[in-house]
Amino acid sequence: MKRRGWIDALFIFPCAFAFIMVIIVPFGLGIYYAMTDWNGVNPIVNWVGLSNFQGMFSEPQFIYSFLITLMYTAINVVFVNIVGFGLALLVTGKLRLRNIYRAGFFVPNLIGGIVLGYIWQFIFNNVQVDMGNALGIAFLQKSLISRPDTVIWAMSVVNTWQYAGYIMMIYVASIQSIPGSVMEAASVDGANFFQRVRRILIPMMASAFTITLFLTLTNSFKQFDLNFTLTNGGPAMRFMAKPIRSSQLLAMDIYRTANQQNLMAQAQAKAVIFFIVLVIFSLTQVYLNKRKELEA
Amino acid sequence: MRKLLSLALVAVLALSVLALPASANEKVNFSVFQLKVEIDPMIQAFGKLYNEKHPDVNVTVETLGGGADYGGALKAKLTADQMPTIFMIEGQGGYDLWKDFIADMSDADWVKDTDLAFYDPDGKAVGFPIAMEGFGLGYNAEILEKAGVDPATLTTFSATKAAIEKIAGMKEELGLDAVVSVGTSVAGGLWWVTSQHVFNAFYAGYQEYNDSSVYDALRRGEVDQERLTAFANYLKLLYDNADPNVLENGNYDAQVAAFASGKAAFITQGNWIDPNLAQLEATFPMGYISHNFLEEESTGLYMAAPSWFVVNKQASPEQQKAAIDFLNYMALSEDGANYMVAEAGMVPAFKSVKLQPEGPFSKALVEASARGGNFNWYFGQNPDGFNQGTLGPIFELLATGTVEDFVADVTAAFQEIANK
Amino acid sequence: MSQLEPVAGNKRRFRDEGRSPGLIIAEVGTMLLFLLFMVPFLLVLLNSAKTAKEIIFSPVSWPQNWGQLGENITAIFNNPSTDYLGAFVDSVIITVASLAVIALFSAMCAWALVRNRKGWSTAIFMAFVSAMVIPFQVVMFPLVKWFKIMGDAIGFPLLGTYHGIVFAYLGFGCSMSIFILHGFIKSIPMELEEAATIDGCSQVRTFFEIVIPLLQPTFITVLILNGIWIWNDYLLPLLILGSAGEVQTIPLAVTAFAGSYLKQWDLILTSALLAMIPIIVLFLFAQRYIIKGMVEGAIK
Repeated sequence: MKRRGWIDALFIFPCAFAFIMVIIVPFGLGIYYAMTDWNGVNPIVNWVGLSNFQGMFSEPQFIYSFLITLMYTAINVVFVNIVGFGLALLVTGKLRLRNIYRAGFFVPNLIGGIVLGYIWQFIFNNVQVDMGNALGIAFLQKSLISRPDTVIWAMSVVNTWQYAGYIMMIYVASIQSIPGSVMEAASVDGANFFQRVRRILIPMMASAFTITLFLTLTNSFKQFDLNFTLTNGGPAMRFMAKPIRSSQLLAMDIYRTANQQNLMAQAQAKAVIFFIVLVIFSLTQVYLNKRKELEA
Repeated sequence: MRKLLSLALVAVLALSVLALPASANEKVNFSVFQLKVEIDPMIQAFGKLYNEKHPDVNVTVETLGGGADYGGALKAKLTADQMPTIFMIEGQGGYDLWKDFIADMSDADWVKDTDLAFYDPDGKAVGFPIAMEGFGLGYNAEILEKAGVDPATLTTFSATKAAIEKIAGMKEELGLDAVVSVGTSVAGGLWWVTSQHVFNAFYAGYQEYNDSSVYDALRRGEVDQERLTAFANYLKLLYDNADPNVLENGNYDAQVAAFASGKAAFITQGNWIDPNLAQLEATFPMGYISHNFLEEESTGLYMAAPSWFVVNKQASPEQQKAAIDFLNYMALSEDGANYMVAEAGMVPAFKSVKLQPEGPFSKALVEASARGGNFNWYFGQNPDGFNQGTLGPIFELLATGTVEDFVADVTAAFQEIANK
Repeated sequence: MSQLEPVAGNKRRFRDEGRSPGLIIAEVGTMLLFLLFMVPFLLVLLNSAKTAKEIIFSPVSWPQNWGQLGENITAIFNNPSTDYLGAFVDSVIITVASLAVIALFSAMCAWALVRNRKGWSTAIFMAFVSAMVIPFQVVMFPLVKWFKIMGDAIGFPLLGTYHGIVFAYLGFGCSMSIFILHGFIKSIPMELEEAATIDGCSQVRTFFEIVIPLLQPTFITVLILNGIWIWNDYLLPLLILGSAGEVQTIPLAVTAFAGSYLKQWDLILTSALLAMIPIIVLFLFAQRYIIKGMVEGAIK
C-alpha cells in the first residue's frame, strides 16, 4: 500500500505537539532547575552545577526511600498482575454475573484522594484490630499500617485492590482479541483449563503482558497518592541510627523535599535520579518482554 | 475605501491609548488567598460587605481547601503571574521564603491594636494576625469532678501525675477508654499535636511571654538535658495513659471523638477543636490546665497567632493601599469584629474588639489571656519541614521507645540544624 | 461467545449451561472476592446516609435514616463555598473533551507509527513510552510557568481555561494511550488495510473506516482508563485551573468540605458517592458495547 508521508506526519502531529509542549519542555526546564538554586519563589536563579546531586545518598531517609520503593515495586508488580490476570480469566469465563463483576472489580478505581485514606485507615486501624481482638490473633491486634515491617505489604494490598481491576481491563481486551476458535480447538484436543491458559492464552497475550508489566512497574515506582493519603510515610522507625519514616516512597520523598523543606532544586535533582533509575528498569523490562513476544 | 478603514483603525487605536489614563477612575481590584476552609463563607461575606461599603475597590477572596499544600499552590500562583495581593504566612519559614513579596505595614492603624503582629528581623510589622489560637491540656470538668480532682490544683508535674494516675485507677467506673486523648501518628496526620504543640511547652513554658532564651539556646545546639528529660517524662506519662490505637494510629477525628464522647478525661488540643466539639454535640463543661512538666507552679497557656496576612510588596501601590485599608477595617471596625468573632468564632487578636467567642475552649483562652502569665509559640521558627520530617518520627518512636532514646534523638536533631 | 471455560477437563464445549463442580467453585469464589472488593465502596455508601457525628461515632453501623442521604446531597448543592453543580458540568466537559482528543489523536498517532516500520517511528514511540516514567512532580511547576509563557506568546491564555486543561490532558494522556493502542494495532492484519486500498480507499478513509472499527474494544479500554484518571484528578486541575477559577472540577469543589481541622465527612463521602455514579453508569454502558463487540466477533 502506498503511504503518503505528509498524511502520516499530520496523524502524528497533534500528539507529538501536545507531548512536547506539556512534557518535554517542562521536563527540560526541570532538569535545568536541578542544577540551580531555584526555590520556587525567587526569580533570580543561579547555576550551581551538580552540587544538588551531592549529599542525597548520605541521607538515611532518601536511601531508605530508595530501597523501600524497589521492594514495594517488586511486591506490587507480582500482586497486581496475578490478581488482575486471575480476575480477567474469571470475568471472560462463563460466570453468570460476569458483567456485574467487571464493574465491581473496577469500582475501587473510583475511590481516591482523602476518601481512600479515610476508608482504608479505618479498615486497618479499626476493623482489622477488632477482628484480631475478637479472634484472638496476635498478628492482627496491631494495625498493619502502624508497623514498619508490615506497612509496605498493607500498602500493596490496598494498591492491588485499587489497581488490579485497571490491569484486568487490559487483559480482558487482550483475551477478547484472541479468536475463540483457537481455545476451542485446544479444548477439543483434551487440554484442561490450566494447560490451555499456560500453553495458548499466555503466549498469545505476550504484547498485553508487555503493557501491563510496564504500567504496574512504572506506576508502583511512581506511587504517590495512596502513599500520601494512607500512611503519609509513617510509621516511624530507626534506620542508620536516625528516626525516619518507614513507608515514605521516593515520589513522596521528592514531594516533601520540594514542598515541606522548600528545597525545590534538590527535589528536582532527586527527581532526575529517580527518572534515570526508572528508565533503566522499565526499558530493561520492555526489552525482555519484547524478546519474549518475538519468541512466541 | 481601504484607506478609510485603516484611518478608522488608527483612530480607534489612538482613542484606546488616550482612554487608558481614564481608567484610574476605575475600581481598584485586589485579592485575598487564604487556606482556612472553616472561615470561607464568613470571610466571603465580609468581603462582599466591604465591597458594598467601599464602591471604589473590589476585593475577591479565594480559599484553598482540603488541608492542601498552600505553599505549593501559592508558588503555582506566582509562576502563573496571579500572585494575590493578600496572602498568608505561617511563621518564620514562610517569611524567609516570601520576603521579597512582603510589604512593611508598620504605619498601618491595626498594628497599634495588637501584640501579635509578625515582625521582620528589622523590627517592621509585616504580618496581620488572623486570630489568636491557643492550647494547653484540655480537660472534661465533669469527669474530673466525678473522680474528685480539682483542676485548679493541677499546677505542677507531680499534681498532674497524681491526678492522671488516680483517674487511671477509676477508668471503669468513669467509663473511660483512656485517661488522655493524644495522638502522635504520622500516618494519622497527627504528628503536629506532639512534635509542634506539646513540645512548644519545652520551648516556651515557665518563661515570660517574650523570653525566647530556652528556644534560642536550643537553636544554637545547646540542649538543656535536665529540662528535656523532665519534658520527656511528662510526654511519656501522657502516652502511657493514652489509648494505643488513638496514640499510634489515630487521626484528628479519632482523637477529638474520644474526648467529645467522654471516653477520655484530657486532650492535647487547642481551641480550634471547638467547631468539632459542636459537630459532635459535646456539651460538658471543659477547660485547660498548663502542660506541667516541672515542679514550678504554672497555669499559663500557649497562645499566639497561628498565621498572618501579609501584603504583596510587588502589587501596585494602589492595590497595596487598598489591601492595608481592608485589613484595618477587618481589625478596627464593628463589621470586622463581627466577622472575626461572632461569625467565624475566632479569638480576636486585637485589643479593641470586645466581642467574646462562643466556643468553650475559645472562652477559656480569653479568660487566660485576661489573667496573664501565658507563653508564646516558637515551633513556627524551626526550619521548613523540620517539625514534620525530623521531630515527627522522633515523637512517634517515643510511643514504643524510651525516654533516653527520645532525649538523645531530640538533642542530635537540634545539634544537626545548629551546625548548618 | 466466550473463549474460556474455567472447568478442569470439561470437553463438552457445546453444553453451555453445564454447571460442573469447577464452575460452581469459580462462581462462589468470584462472588466472595467481589464482595470483598466492594467493602470499601459499601462503607462509602453507608456513611453517605449519616450525619457527621454518626460517621465519627459509628462508622460501620447501618444508617438510622436513609433520608439523611438526601439531606447531605441538598447540603452539598446549597453549600455557599462551592458551586457543585457548576463543577459537575465542568468536569463532564473537561473529561469528555479530553477523552475525545486523546482517543482520536492517540489512535491516529499510534497507527501512523505502527505502519511505518522505520527508525524514526521507533524513536518517536520510545520517546512517548519513556515519558511515562516521568514523575508528575518534576514537571508540575515548570509546566505552569511554560503554560503562562505560551499563553502570553499566542495571546490565548492556557491557564484557567477549558482548552488549556484539555491540551494538558492530551499531553499527559497520549503516552499511555499510544502505548496501548500501538500494541493492539500491531495485531491487526495488514491485509485488511491493503484490501481496502486496492478498493480505492484513501489512507485517511482506511483509518476511519477500517482501523477505527476494529479497535473498538481497545478504544473502550483506553477511554475508561483515561476517563477515571481525568475525572478523579486533583493536582493538575489545581495547577492549571486554580482553586477558585471560573472553571472548576469536582475534586476541586470537594476540597471546600475538608478544612485543615474540621472535615465534613458527611459531605465529603456523599460527594464522593455522587462523583462515582456517572462513571459506574458509563462503565456499565460501555460494557454492553464490549459484549456486543464480542458477539459480533464470535459470529464472524
